[in-house]
Amino acid sequence: MQATFAKPVLAVYLGLFLLFLYGPFVVLAIISFQTGPEGGPQFPIIEWSTYWYRHLLGLTPPSRVAPLPISEALVRSLTLAFMTMVVSTVLGTAAAQAFRKRFKGSGTIFYLIVLGMMVPGVLVGLGVALLANFIGIQRHWFSTAFVLHVVYTFPFAFLVMLAIFNRFDQSVEEASWSLGVSPAKTFRKVTFPMIFPGVLSAMLFAFTLSYDEFSRTLFASGRDLTLPLAIYGTFSVEIHPNVFAFGVLTTLFSFALLAVYAILMSLSVRRARRAALQEEI
Amino acid sequence: MAMTDTLRNTGPAAAAAPKRSRTTLWLLAPGVIWMVLFLALPIAMMIYISFWTQTTFTIKSDLTTANWISFFTSTTYLDALWTTVRIWITVLLTTLIVGYPTALFVGLLVKNKTLQTVLLVLCVIPFWTSFLIRVLAWRPTLGTDGAINFILLNLGIIAQPIQALLFSELSVVIGMTQIYCVFMVGPIAFMLGRIDPNVIEAAQDLGAGFWRIFRTIILPLSMPGVVVGAIFVSVMVLGEFATSAALSGRKVNMLGNIIVTQVGSLKWAFAAVVGAVLTVLMGMVVAGLLKVVDLRKEL
Repeated sequence: MQATFAKPVLAVYLGLFLLFLYGPFVVLAIISFQTGPEGGPQFPIIEWSTYWYRHLLGLTPPSRVAPLPISEALVRSLTLAFMTMVVSTVLGTAAAQAFRKRFKGSGTIFYLIVLGMMVPGVLVGLGVALLANFIGIQRHWFSTAFVLHVVYTFPFAFLVMLAIFNRFDQSVEEASWSLGVSPAKTFRKVTFPMIFPGVLSAMLFAFTLSYDEFSRTLFASGRDLTLPLAIYGTFSVEIHPNVFAFGVLTTLFSFALLAVYAILMSLSVRRARRAALQEEI
Repeated sequence: MAMTDTLRNTGPAAAAAPKRSRTTLWLLAPGVIWMVLFLALPIAMMIYISFWTQTTFTIKSDLTTANWISFFTSTTYLDALWTTVRIWITVLLTTLIVGYPTALFVGLLVKNKTLQTVLLVLCVIPFWTSFLIRVLAWRPTLGTDGAINFILLNLGIIAQPIQALLFSELSVVIGMTQIYCVFMVGPIAFMLGRIDPNVIEAAQDLGAGFWRIFRTIILPLSMPGVVVGAIFVSVMVLGEFATSAALSGRKVNMLGNIIVTQVGSLKWAFAAVVGAVLTVLMGMVVAGLLKVVDLRKEL
């Protein structure tokens, strides 16, 4: 085949694709080192400085650029992400555990759960806001926004756990039961260690999705802003490089999270391997 | 006495069956109740409220079709509907144009598994930055004093900065393409990776050229991936409002933007109508895409 011809052409295409994907990030990173407070998000760079990073952390003298309201928003977002992570992982694991056996109506329930990640945030956000108004309750990030975050992340946790249970050797559990170990203890001592990597992935999914979730939160949370809402607030006004400095920092934070995940994952793999080794001895 | 006998005779298997289904029920109940209360009910509520009467500052529970009539007679709403459909089709095409060749290379032509994984991870890494920040990053890239104009000016390719790059429909399409193209690449690359290399080799041995192989083998086998990618992209683009708000300077109004504006001015019933229209539109699009390829048969 003329793949000899097609391959280099497509390789160049991939290069362009990656440039398209990453170009704005490079621009963002460069602009975040613009001098301040007079330098804006424009080229060329007047002078390289870390002004906007210091501005973000409140280390610069007050200027005409208002600081991003991130400190409280950050705490709220992290709390919300943590709550969402715990609840959606538990719900996802339980639902996936139920799906290990065939039962009537499983198709409908499957679609109902998966719908949660497909329906656009603006629609469910609006729906929950209307519902809250209808029954006369206040909207808050920890109540109405929280339940929506779980609606969004629970399907991801569910799908991850479903994939894990699909490759799961059930005979180990059955051996434990037949040795007279109670189902609860079997889950704790046998099932859970085996599905732990999946649980970890589900937690990672839920945490990061919730931490970054925006369109659902917009209508469903009340006055108190979460982090993405604080960034959304800058859309309508003139933007300054502090937003970009913040973007660089959050990206680094995400990578740190990913590193923690990788470490926990490799620890669990190593522990599993050691256990396997002991068995052989 | 007879009953206990039958129970004993049928043994533990029969007794375990109802118990097992009860366990299934308990495991499922929390998740299902959660989804019904916080997903199905809100959507139903939205459709219900769309028939309420909207006054200047409040909504009343008197049922009316006035909101629906005003939606389909107002040019603002119909323009937004048309803009949404236009941007959706455009972005669907651009993500396909950007994504398909990339997926073809990653999924089919890269034989080295490690390299393949690295390339796929490279596609996913951008998701580790906040969605809003990724959108905002296009402003200093496309702006009049932005990176592209700066580079083109310094290279002497243009004499004047290109104004049309930012705060236009073009910038909205560029931004959405970058954000959503990965959802196209992933499913297509997955389907291409499943093609048996022997089939392609056989076609080669029989003298088929690259285009012939592409048309008769690769394209049909990758269609389920294209449909799944198209469903992801469609659902996300149709429900968009942040990208158009950030990159169009409020010039491009999609249905999502109208909802945000209406909620901002407490016109809840109007917002609900737009939401209901959006729901119907999305349902039609997804159903149509599923008609193209029978996913359950293909996957």
